[in-house]
Amino acid sequence: MVDIAVPEVDYTQYSNRQLVVVPLTVLAVALVVILGWYVMTGAPANLGLEFTGGTELRVDVDGENPREQIDAAFSAEPQSVQQVAGDGAYIISFREGEVSSTQLENEANEAGFEILTIDQVSPSFGADTQLMALGGIAVAFTGMSLLVFGMFRTFVPSIAVVASAFSDIMIPLAMMNLLGIDLTLGTVAALLMLIGYSVDSDILLNNSILRRTGDFYESTHRAMRTGVTMTLTSMSAMAVMTVVAYIFGIQIMTAIGFILVVGLMADLMNTYLLNVSLLRWYVHEGIKR
Amino acid sequence: MIGKIKANWRVTLLIVFVLAAMIVLFVPAFDASEEEIGNESQQAQGLTNLQYGLDLAGGTRIRAPLIGMTAEDVEFGGDSEADVAATVANELPDTGTNDVIARQEFEDEPGTVEVVDPDVSETEFASAMDASGYEYGEIRNGVTAATREEAISVLDGKVNQAGLSGSTVQEVASGTGEFFILVEVPGEDRQDVIELIQERGEVRIDIYHQGDDGNYTTEREALTRNDFQSIGTATQNDQSGPHVPVTVNRDSAEEFQQLAVDTGVAGPGGSRCTYDQDPENTEPCMLLVVDDEVVNSFGMNPGLADSMQSGSWAQDSSFILTTNSFEEAQRISINLRAGALPAELDILGGTTSFISPTQGENFRTNALIVGILSVLTVAGVVFLRYREPKVALPMVVTAFSEVIILLGFAAYLGYPLDLAVIAGFIAVIGTGVDDLIIIADEVMSQGNVSSRKVFDSRFKKAFWVIGVAAATTIIAMSPLAVLSLGDLRGFAIFTILGVIVGVAITRPAYGDILRYLMTDR
Repeated sequence: MVDIAVPEVDYTQYSNRQLVVVPLTVLAVALVVILGWYVMTGAPANLGLEFTGGTELRVDVDGENPREQIDAAFSAEPQSVQQVAGDGAYIISFREGEVSSTQLENEANEAGFEILTIDQVSPSFGADTQLMALGGIAVAFTGMSLLVFGMFRTFVPSIAVVASAFSDIMIPLAMMNLLGIDLTLGTVAALLMLIGYSVDSDILLNNSILRRTGDFYESTHRAMRTGVTMTLTSMSAMAVMTVVAYIFGIQIMTAIGFILVVGLMADLMNTYLLNVSLLRWYVHEGIKR
Repeated sequence: MIGKIKANWRVTLLIVFVLAAMIVLFVPAFDASEEEIGNESQQAQGLTNLQYGLDLAGGTRIRAPLIGMTAEDVEFGGDSEADVAATVANELPDTGTNDVIARQEFEDEPGTVEVVDPDVSETEFASAMDASGYEYGEIRNGVTAATREEAISVLDGKVNQAGLSGSTVQEVASGTGEFFILVEVPGEDRQDVIELIQERGEVRIDIYHQGDDGNYTTEREALTRNDFQSIGTATQNDQSGPHVPVTVNRDSAEEFQQLAVDTGVAGPGGSRCTYDQDPENTEPCMLLVVDDEVVNSFGMNPGLADSMQSGSWAQDSSFILTTNSFEEAQRISINLRAGALPAELDILGGTTSFISPTQGENFRTNALIVGILSVLTVAGVVFLRYREPKVALPMVVTAFSEVIILLGFAAYLGYPLDLAVIAGFIAVIGTGVDDLIIIADEVMSQGNVSSRKVFDSRFKKAFWVIGVAAATTIIAMSPLAVLSLGDLRGFAIFTILGVIVGVAITRPAYGDILRYLMTDR
């Protein structure tokens, strides 16, 4: 049987600077990617159908050469064609253009495809949604920050939690850009969810170090044992959800799962490298000032 | 026994909630959908009382704004609503009174004027308002709340008249303050629904005849919806083809009879209409007009014309509207029964989605598989980590009970499950187990827990972390729960609900169970 033991890291071997450099570099790279995306495309991420407007069809195609049939069937150029692993259906998406969704629907029917789902979003509605989603993330993040500052009432431990949560959101966002995953409502929800998940282990660590008597390293190890278990458990559940939902072509679950897996990985790094070193500096030097 | 229940009241509470959830889920009498009339078909045809959303049941969802502009704070100056509407409509070159709605809730107070003609621009509307001489405030995009309400009740009538049971029509607001009408019709194709709801459905009968000067003129609105006493369903027979039988009410019947005789439709021997072949050379016609478009034209048979001439028709006043096809007859019947929409829906300005019933069923099964596999994974990891069934088994059982309680809530509230909600459940299991791990680790830290006192103090410490984490999750998800970001509302609501159930019921209970197993009583 596999034994899951949380590794004990000997933090004494590394200086704060050494510990911090890894998460900060990763965050910097992520920010560069997101900024670059913004400069190049005018948006921080690849915006999905819900934000840009457009039409997405999920169809069953019978017969030979389904890809060619799809290419021949529509009068508009699909933006992407994707096959669902589980049942062989095709997900075809079109950017909003001259061809209306009703015409695309008719063309699919004429080509003899069985239409399983159709989603159509108008560009103006998409722009609204974009604004709301951004606002939602901003409100959620601010609310979380206020709560954390209110709970700890000291600057360094609070900013450690907030910085780590910020990084936990940015890293998956950059990852999505690099892997060509679209930002959809599902991924926005996952990013918000990540705020909750991320704060969990950070608070545990802060609490363990600040509210306990005892050695810094001992407290850190104790919190880490619990925190890593937590994160690994959630991560494995989300990984399974991502893979299975991908096979079945359930996009919203795949998106939520994927973001959480990447975000939780980032959280492991941020909590136990960035957060730990900030707290160590605070406990050993910051308080004395 | 009672003492034991008291001492472990947290566990008791959990058991009570799980049992209540089971009852709500499985006992048919607790079916929430029975209270909501018109929701029957959304209810699962399965073992449980759960209702499924369109994702999982199949159907069409259309979210669209109503087309129109509103001039606010209009001084009516003592004129009636109808007068104001007519005056403003007069100033707009191609807009009829049907496209202008004036509303004044209280006399002597400013009212509103709406223009619902898609071809009128804001400047045109403003200059028409200026020309009409009524003082007004600003002109904004969108229609009034009263118009939206009217539209919702008409749409409700339309989907019900069309026999689409389980449909819902409601209003949703976007974060930017725009209002949308949300129509959900289970099991129906997208185009059928669009066809049903996109036209305003203003049905009227005009009489087209040769005037005294020899030119053809149209008597508009010889009959409108309000003139009918009863409207039959679409019928088809050999004698009259597809048609809708109607009865005209007493007052209008006399008038219509007179008009028909005067215009010559009910001339001696009836009339033969050739409007569609040669409108410049036809006997008088009745025109069936839907949204200002002539859909059919017909004359009158000698029998009916005779009874109109003699004046006896007004006593009986039944009548048929013939159409070109049965589908058209159905549409006309629905439009007459449900009434006309006060404004057109801008279907292209919103979102539409369609999920075929088979795909919905696949999603249902597949989402269930995803859920079960995720939960099994969590259970597996927990067992591998703790090795001790004493700790791990109650953990898994507690996490499961959390999901059951949430499902119970969903069934009780009649909240339709969709893919996003199921993803929310899985996320809840994730956070739930996280918190149980915190409790277990905290309680078991530093050796054995022998006394109740030690246990309680450790449990309290763990709970502080859990409380803060729960509060953050609730804050993070609340924007989604409040904003109408479509599918994600359910996800947010159930994540928040899950966190609350967890902190209030399941996690304390797990603490009690653990204490029972760990301490020497």
